[in-house]
Amino acid sequence: MSELDSWTTDSRSHPPATANLAEILERVLDKGIVIAGDIKIDLLDIELLTIRLRLFISSVETAKKAGIDWWETDPALSSRAAHDALYEENQRLRERIDALEGDDSPEPDSIRRAGGRRELRR
Amino acid sequence: MNSTPHISAPRISPPAKSVGSCATYVFAVCRSDHPASPSDAHGHAGGGPLRLLTVGSLCAVVQDVPATEFSETALRERLGDAAELERCARAHHGVVTATTADGPAVPMPLATLYLGDERARAAIEENQESFRLALDRITGRAEWAVKVYLTQSATTARSVAPDIRQTPAPGPGTGPRPVSGRAYLDRLRSRQNLREQHRESAVAAAERVDRAVRELAVAMVPRRPHGPEVTGKDRTQIMNMAYLIAEDRNEELAATIGRLRASPDFDGIEIDVTGPWAPYSFTDGGDLAGHS
Repeated sequence: MSELDSWTTDSRSHPPATANLAEILERVLDKGIVIAGDIKIDLLDIELLTIRLRLFISSVETAKKAGIDWWETDPALSSRAAHDALYEENQRLRERIDALEGDDSPEPDSIRRAGGRRELRR
Repeated sequence: MNSTPHISAPRISPPAKSVGSCATYVFAVCRSDHPASPSDAHGHAGGGPLRLLTVGSLCAVVQDVPATEFSETALRERLGDAAELERCARAHHGVVTATTADGPAVPMPLATLYLGDERARAAIEENQESFRLALDRITGRAEWAVKVYLTQSATTARSVAPDIRQTPAPGPGTGPRPVSGRAYLDRLRSRQNLREQHRESAVAAAERVDRAVRELAVAMVPRRPHGPEVTGKDRTQIMNMAYLIAEDRNEELAATIGRLRASPDFDGIEIDVTGPWAPYSFTDGGDLAGHS
């Protein structure tokens, strides 16, 4: 990774201003200190937007070709949809690991849910 | 609390409101002695110049934005559009980053909006204790993102090599070679073991990275790993963490990561580090007991 090389030679040389969008989004959408705004955007909705964007990045061309335009026609950001999106994301991650490992056996939860300390520690 | 009345506080003259009304967009909250002049950033397109709103011992970096474009309905629609969401996120992030470059500041979430300065001031005043705590927590520290990936090359190299040794690829035209039952079972078993090993070593690598970086950090927050849409098809993200690290430990962090990368155990494992970030992940009530 070239970004890693530049980072190791100068620890401040990786300006997050140019960081990848997913990294920025997961941060600016973090609820942080919650002070009630006058104009409210539901946090669940926002969370869903991130997921949608992730889908969007890779699939917009394919989806457009297939005539799918859910991001335009489905503004009702229900929690049900959020749940489904999470589930799908999970599924895709599992499939990805399967594909990478040429695996045909069920995975242990530890990898599927890795990221949290608890999961890593088991 | 020690909230002080602001009747005597100097009022910032309200911006010229020519047509339509404005909302007050809050980017970040800092101490009132913050040398903030976030001139590097412009904020949201269509909004006024960035300005400081003083609230007791705190001040906020705010911008007047057109109320019509930042209404609940309008935002819902705009943020549902990927390009627009990106524009908004980057504009927000730009101001936050410029502000934290000048001194400690608590980043606010995207689209923190008030119907006017008085409403924003009231909300900040109400939470001034949390802001002071957060500012104390993040002063002299920055957020670093550390991600660990398992790469495709690792997977194929590790699981294929021994198979080649045991059952050499048939020459051209020879067709599939008959394999004895025992050899077949051995091969299956060894492949299974390799997979297991591989999985274990990936998790162990992530654990090692986390343990090493934790030593340098005062707090940490696990984040959900990114999917293949973000990481690319040839690698799987197995860890996505944010650490709050003192600014004078940057070099130690670089050295630590360098050592881990050089370790033979990290063959096929990528460690990705980005930072310093504004301390987005470490502003809420947070406990500093990241070590425990």
